[in-house]
Parts: sequence; C-alpha cells; structure tokens
Amino acid sequence: MSYLRRINQWIAKLELFVLVVIVLSMVFMAAAQIILRKFFNSGILWGDIFLRQLVLWVSFIGASLATKDNKHINMDLLGRLLKGRWKASAEILVHLFSAFIVFLLFQASWTFVQSEIEFGSTVFKNVPSWYFEIIMPVGFGLMALRFLLNAIFSFEYAIKHGESK
Amino acid sequence: MIVTLAIILGLLLLTVLGAPLFVIISSIALLAFHIAEIDSSAVIIELYRLTSQPVFLAIPLFTFAGYLLAESGTPKRLFNLSRNLIGWLPAGLALVALVSLAIFTAFTGASGVTIIALGGLLYPMMQQEKYPEKFSLGLITASGNLGLLFPPSLPIILYGLVAQVPIDQLYLGGIIPGILMIVLLSGYAIFFYRKNVRHKQNFKPTGKQLWQAIKNTAWEIPLPILIIGGIYGGLFTATDAAAVTAIYVFIIEIFIYKDISLFKDLPRIIKESMIMVGGIIVILAAALGLANYMIDAQIPAKILASMQHFIKSPLIFLLFLNLFLLIVGALMDIFSAIMVIAPLLIPIANSFGINPVHLGIIFMANLGIGYSTPPVGMNLFISSMRFNKSITFLYHAALPFLLILLIALALITYIPELTLVFLH
Repeated sequence: MSYLRRINQWIAKLELFVLVVIVLSMVFMAAAQIILRKFFNSGILWGDIFLRQLVLWVSFIGASLATKDNKHINMDLLGRLLKGRWKASAEILVHLFSAFIVFLLFQASWTFVQSEIEFGSTVFKNVPSWYFEIIMPVGFGLMALRFLLNAIFSFEYAIKHGESK
Repeated sequence: MIVTLAIILGLLLLTVLGAPLFVIISSIALLAFHIAEIDSSAVIIELYRLTSQPVFLAIPLFTFAGYLLAESGTPKRLFNLSRNLIGWLPAGLALVALVSLAIFTAFTGASGVTIIALGGLLYPMMQQEKYPEKFSLGLITASGNLGLLFPPSLPIILYGLVAQVPIDQLYLGGIIPGILMIVLLSGYAIFFYRKNVRHKQNFKPTGKQLWQAIKNTAWEIPLPILIIGGIYGGLFTATDAAAVTAIYVFIIEIFIYKDISLFKDLPRIIKESMIMVGGIIVILAAALGLANYMIDAQIPAKILASMQHFIKSPLIFLLFLNLFLLIVGALMDIFSAIMVIAPLLIPIANSFGINPVHLGIIFMANLGIGYSTPPVGMNLFISSMRFNKSITFLYHAALPFLLILLIALALITYIPELTLVFLH
C-alpha cells in the first residue's frame, strides 16, 4: 500500500503549492482592488468576479486536504468512545459512506460542468465559466478518492495492529 | 414509513460515529432531490451561485488573517497592552482577560483558537495573582466566544450571507448586546474579586512600562481602529475590511514583527486556514442545497403550522428558540449551526414578526453560549485538553459565568431595542 500513500502525498504537495500561489494572489489582488477603488476611483473590471472564482478553488483544494488529514467538521460524539475493532469498523464504515456520497456529488458537478460547456456560459467577457467550475468535479473526485484511501488505510492498520489508529 | 425511519436512524448513527457533516447533509439533499425527481446537479447550482455573492471573498481572507494572528506574537502583545491599560483596576486582570478574549475572538472567529492562544497566557498570570483556579478557568472557558458580536466576526458575515441580511446592520445591532455581555461578566468578576481573592496584589504599571507596551503594539493598534471604525462608519464593506485585514496582518507579522517565517510557517498556516475554509464552504453548499429543497417543499411553513398549535405568542417562540439554539450550539460548531439551522428558522421567525437583525444577534449570542454549555459544549473540551483538567471540573467552573451569560441572553432576546437602537 506504500505506493498509494506516496501518490496521496504527492497530490497533497501539488495541492499545497497551488493553494499557496492562489491564496497569496488573492490577498494581494484584493488589496490592490481596494487601493485602486478608494484612491484612484478605478479598479480591474473583472477583478472582483475573478477573486470570487478563486475562492471556489481554495475551498475545494482545502476540502480535499481536509479529507486527507481527516479534518472535516463533524459531530463525533460516539466515535471517540469506541475502542479496538469497533472503532476501526466504524471508521471504515464512515469513510466508505462518505466516498459513496461524495462520488454522487462528483457526478452531479460533472453533469453541471458539461451543461455549462454546452450552454457556453461565460464569467466575464469571453472567458468560459467552466475554466473555473472544473475545480468542483476535480475537488469532489479527489475527495471521493481520498475517502476510499482513508478506508483502505484504516483497514490495513486494523489488520496490522488489531485496533484503529 | 419504516424505510424513512431506517434512513433517519442510519444517518444519525453515521453522524455520531464521526461522518463529516457535509456528507450527511449532502446525502439528505441528494435523497430529497432524487425523490422529488429533480436532477442532482441542482445541489451544485446552489454551490456555484455562492460565487456571485461579494461577501464570499471575505471568508478565506478573514480566516487566513485570523490564523496568522493566532500563530504570531499578537496575543502576547495584546495581553500586555491591555494589562498595562486596565490591569490596575480592581479585579484588573479578570477585566484584561475579558477584553482581550473579546477582541481576539472578533478577529479570529469562534473556532476555539481564542482559548488556546490566550488562555495559555491568562491562566498562569491569574494563578500568580491568587485568583482561584476554578474562577480563572471558568472565566476563560465561558468567555471564549465573547467577541462574536463585534466586527469583523466571521460568524456574523456567514449569517448575513445565509440570511440575506445586510452585514453592517448586524454589526451595528451587535454593539450593545456585545458590550452588555462584557459588562455583566465584569461586574461579576469585580464582585467575586472583592469577596474571595485574598492577598490582593496591586499591579501598578509605571509610565515607562505602559509606553513600552504601546510601542510594542504600535503596528497592531491601528488595525482594530481602522476595521471597526471603517465598518461602523460605513467606509468599508465587510469584504473590504477582510481584504485590508489580510494584507495588513500579512505584512506586519511577516515583515515587521517577523513572528512568522515566510518559508517555514506560511505554507502550513495557509494550508490549515484553507482546510477550515474548505470545511465551511462544503457544508455551506450542502446546507444551501438542502434549504433550497426544503423551502420549495414548504417545510418551514409546515413546521410553523404545526408549531402554531402550541406556540401562540412571539415571546413563547423566543423562549423555545433560546432553548433550541442552546442545545444546537452545544452539539454543533457555530458555522455549521448557522448554515444548517438559519435558513429553516428565518421564515418561521419572520411570521412571528421578529426583526431579522434581532434574530441574527439572538442566534450568535445563543450559539456562542451553547459552546460552553455542558455536557458537550466544545469550549469545555478545548479547555479540558488545554489545561489538563477533568471535564466535570470545567462544568462546575463555567457554571456561574454561564448563568450570567444566560441573563444577558434573556435581556438581548426579550428587549429587542438593545439590538435595534442604532438601526433606525
């Protein structure tokens, strides 16, 4: 399973790199917009729209990394009381269920993006919307994959150690 | 019927076993759309529509700035400054704690980071000045969400986004309720100090110390003045404020104070803050998708109709609202609670004639208190871990402060003027 872990890490590195680039651009561009607007009464016309599309990107990359690190917001009231095999089984069940639901979201977002391509909708001027929207199926796809990997890793760990992490 | 029951029980089980909230909500939304024979991409349309809301940009910018602040030396400098400014008053250190907790929460959102960042400074200091342990930890735990109502608090922005209420109105509405909570808690702290703290140590800052504290925070003092003044004064929208805060904090913490290293710390902080943002946005998307379906299916109207049998007056409604939100606040984090509960409650509250801004403030105050409500309020667990105390010890410690906050909540809820006075 070590190659699965390696691929997972490798994707995470790429995600982090993209994340850093986008967040820093967002911070500087949002600041530039304000300075232009407040002091020079101008601003990049498509700037605000572009910035909000970037928010979608950081959200999905963040959510994908949250899946890898098991950091999604949850209400874990019972899970933390379980021990040993029970805990491992519960984890695997939760990961598999999540993988299934997120896969459905992946399908839904892919359908959405396809219809947007067909319809030819644009965000500004002649930039197609799907350039930005594509992060939704990509993000849900990565998340579904990672929930599946989490299930595999939990299973592997449970077999090796007879208990969960 | 049996199938429905099985699904509900199954989802509840998965929830308490720790399934991500966005997965649970999405599964309900997907199922509802499937039954209503609507294409599942309707869930995605709602998500993508978020990008048309200007305030959408404020979420990552404020979160990023908040994480930077929490990791920097700002909590320490803020504490030092407020200690030199008001620490010499009776019960001064307790007042310092309340004020610095409130300011810090306003800028970092209510994610429990306040208790971790400031609690570690405040608690040893309070021990040193002979405040009883129980009092100190109770104060820190129960006040971990005190600044929730002040700009630029992120939960308020999120509520405005979900409820379609102007954010500047919410901030104006929160002024008196927020101050009320601090004043009542301060009153209790002074009363307690007079009665129970022996060997009073009078902290007397010298002029030199005060000047040093001001000099150390010279770059930080302008930020709250600029942001809070800018928002109240109508100069900034919440989104502008977020952009200014993000760039300002970025520059001072990395290049002026050099608390955060550009290469060593920054990528990690970006990652952690965006994990938080991603976690919030996927829940928001799922919750909006579900709310969209529920409103189409007129579910709030149906809940309302069945409620009207036993709830006739707005007062009784508000009482139920308080109790309900207290439970929700203890079970869920504040962001999820806003996103999941607010869209359903707003139409119901509307029909009882509750002002939307007033409702928003009740919401925030209520959920904030829920955070430290036994048995499962999140602040109690955070404090328990941070200070190595049993959770039952913290139940007892937080209790008097909780009672005071509940009194404040009752005043905020049943005297709408406290919220609405600046709005007209």
